Amino acid sequence: MHIPDGFLDSQTAVTAAALAVTGLGVALRRARLHLPPRRVPLLGLAAAFVFAAQMINFPVAGGTSGHLIGAVLAAVLLGPSAAVIVISAVLIVQCLMFADGGISALGANIFNMGVIGGVGGWAVYHVVSRLVKGLFGCVVAAGFAAWCSTVMASVACAGELASSHTVRWSVALPAMAGAHMLIGIGEGLITVLVLVAIARTRPELLQPEAAPEPRRSYGAIVAYGGLIALGLALFVSPLASRWPDGLDRTAELLGFKEKAVAPMVPAPMPDYEVPGFHWTTLGTSLAGAVGTIVVFALAWLLARALVPKGAAGPRGVP
Amino acid sequence: MTAAVEVRDLHFRYGDGTHALRGVGFSVAEGESVGLIGPNGAGKSTLLLHLNGLLPEAWRGEGSVRVGGVQVGPDTLHEVRRKVGLLFQDPNDQLFCPTVFEDVAFGPQQLGLPEAAVRERVARALAEAGTPGFEARAPHHLSVGEKRRVCLAGVLACDPSILVLDEPSSSLDPRGRRELKELLRQIAITKLIATHDLELVVELCSRVIVLDEGAVVAQGPTVEVLADEDLMLRHNLERPHILRHLHPH
Amino acid sequence: MRHDFLDRYSRLDSPIHRASAAVKLVVALALVVAVVLLPASRPMFLVAVAVVLVAVAVLSRVPWRFLVVRVLLLEPFVLGVAMLALFQSGGWRMFLFLVGKCTVCLMVMVLLSNTTPFSDLLRVLKRWRMPALLVTTLSLMYRYVFVLVDEAQRMGRARTSRTFTPRRSRAWRTIATVVSQLFIRSSERAERIYAAMCARGWR
Ligand SMILES: Nc1ncnc2c1ncn2[C@@H]1O[C@H](COP(=O)(O)OP(=O)(O)OP(=O)(O)O)[C@@H](O)[C@H]1O
Ligand SMILES: [Mg+2]
Repeated sequence: MHIPDGFLDSQTAVTAAALAVTGLGVALRRARLHLPPRRVPLLGLAAAFVFAAQMINFPVAGGTSGHLIGAVLAAVLLGPSAAVIVISAVLIVQCLMFADGGISALGANIFNMGVIGGVGGWAVYHVVSRLVKGLFGCVVAAGFAAWCSTVMASVACAGELASSHTVRWSVALPAMAGAHMLIGIGEGLITVLVLVAIARTRPELLQPEAAPEPRRSYGAIVAYGGLIALGLALFVSPLASRWPDGLDRTAELLGFKEKAVAPMVPAPMPDYEVPGFHWTTLGTSLAGAVGTIVVFALAWLLARALVPKGAAGPRGVP
Repeated sequence: MTAAVEVRDLHFRYGDGTHALRGVGFSVAEGESVGLIGPNGAGKSTLLLHLNGLLPEAWRGEGSVRVGGVQVGPDTLHEVRRKVGLLFQDPNDQLFCPTVFEDVAFGPQQLGLPEAAVRERVARALAEAGTPGFEARAPHHLSVGEKRRVCLAGVLACDPSILVLDEPSSSLDPRGRRELKELLRQIAITKLIATHDLELVVELCSRVIVLDEGAVVAQGPTVEVLADEDLMLRHNLERPHILRHLHPH
Repeated sequence: MRHDFLDRYSRLDSPIHRASAAVKLVVALALVVAVVLLPASRPMFLVAVAVVLVAVAVLSRVPWRFLVVRVLLLEPFVLGVAMLALFQSGGWRMFLFLVGKCTVCLMVMVLLSNTTPFSDLLRVLKRWRMPALLVTTLSLMYRYVFVLVDEAQRMGRARTSRTFTPRRSRAWRTIATVVSQLFIRSSERAERIYAAMCARGWR
């Protein structure tokens, strides 16, 4: 899901970069305030860990393979803000050292995988692990959240590609979301297996002090929630609804349409309103809804199989 | 005169319950070179970490560690760490910066030295440690022996008054070992060296402390302790060859 | 050194390697932006940039085969997404243009990363006021990526040497074991690094 250079137009790239910088800024600020000094090196090591883990491929249907993103894994182990920093560091190194993921798309990648994948995934984890108790609940929540985070990030990615007029939304959404509904299963499976293995050998690593965030912080919720909502509003909802183009529309609304750099690649189609468009969106959403239920059930079964009855959950991890 | 290092009845348990130190006590005089030997898992590395106040759980526990008359504790950490230069057992843990220069410069920079002085110290320390001109190299491109020398340079660059070394000679080639001994001989400050390299102990240390299962089981002049075959065998050690002809049995 | 495919040529000696990292970063960024903004009606600009890049590659003395392989390795995702562009009118032109643009950008970034050590780029970013915590994280990450990749490979090898009947369901377990061990080891190493940083007067 690392978007290379050349797929995003300037508006989308700049908007996504602004969102990413804000998100990363919030995360860094929160870490500076709440991260104890002895855990500072852990951020760097966790980033190296996620990088190394991403190099391990797993098989997906049809002879293709996917790899871990690790955003939810990092968020569960270290807390959401640390996860944003860790994933951003991974993406920066991949971009500057391996040309994996474009430098002009770095903002979009950080926003998709770090902010949406990490914080959005963590939010899902947080809610579900509140509802289902114990290590069992933690495992169900992590597996489910990992899948959701992968799919959410891929939808954002599709939205960015479509907003850039690179690929039509009616193609981008089913292709990206569909592929990642499959890859997400691998992500969820590995996240679950890894958490269970850690809970078995070093349970104290799942303890609350591993997640430096204080329990409740409305500021962070508002900041992260606002960012994600804004991103979805800009990149996704205009396409999914009848509006012509999210960014154009926002630019119009904000009155800087003239100043904004127009997309240099002329839109191959004047509009997204092509026949069948609503059907693909609707179909993908339906598939997504069914997938969500199926995956939740799978996560439940997997946790049943892996977690001994009554195993104590990581105490206090919200 | 206060001892350079004084440890009294030191106990330590790791988080997982491993009882690593069980009442260790010894002292090292100013300017002395002391060897610390003992089998794997005896607690040598754990003990050395205490000399730098690196196991915060320990301050609440039993026993005391004094460095140059200063009790190691939360309020004296800065002072203690300035005095004691610690070489870690695993060079990968100690070399944490992306280039050799930055790594060796880390200590002097933390001391607040000006840029030029830092450069000067780095160059000097690297030369002393036998890796001159390595400034621009990346730690992950170094051989294990080179890493160890650069680590040593990082310690020397801090200008410590007590040198605490954890297995300084492991993974050095014979020439590297010789150079290390030569270098350590020249540095005329207090030294405490944990090692399995008994020849190094014989050549450098006037006194040894034998540690096993978290307690001091023997200490005394090097030649006497190392020549005690029973003692050595009891603690999974052996008499170094160079002592064979000194004390023929 | 087993992991050196990660960072093999960035420390050669050539005019390109000797150029300042800041300049290279700015030029690369400018080139990428120019290519990204390029209208579809001007494909010749791409060719011109590509020619310049080839010249730079020759000057840099990085083996051309290595560069080509790196670009090709990164191409699949580009092709995958570009293929989606075929599903629209004028799709072919769009497809070729996208692939061309992306490939040129890839060449720029591959050249940048293989002629400039990441530690130099990091120093530039630090000078450009990147937040200290992020700089620390990045430099520790860069330092230990090699150690961890090595560790992961060693663990993998140790496992395969003792795996006598490979099975698919085991494969997932194996991945999970390696990944969880990797995390446990890195968090323990983080503790030791913290100790090493303290020992030399951090904070
Ligand atoms: N981080 C840790 N957590 C738990 N136990 C530990 C830890 N580090 C060391 N130990 C245990 O403490 C004991 C002493 O270990 P230590 O590393 O001090 O031994 P050592 O004398 O340095 O051995 P070696 O010669 O192999 O380096 C050992 O039993 C070891 O297993
Ligand atoms: Mg040891």
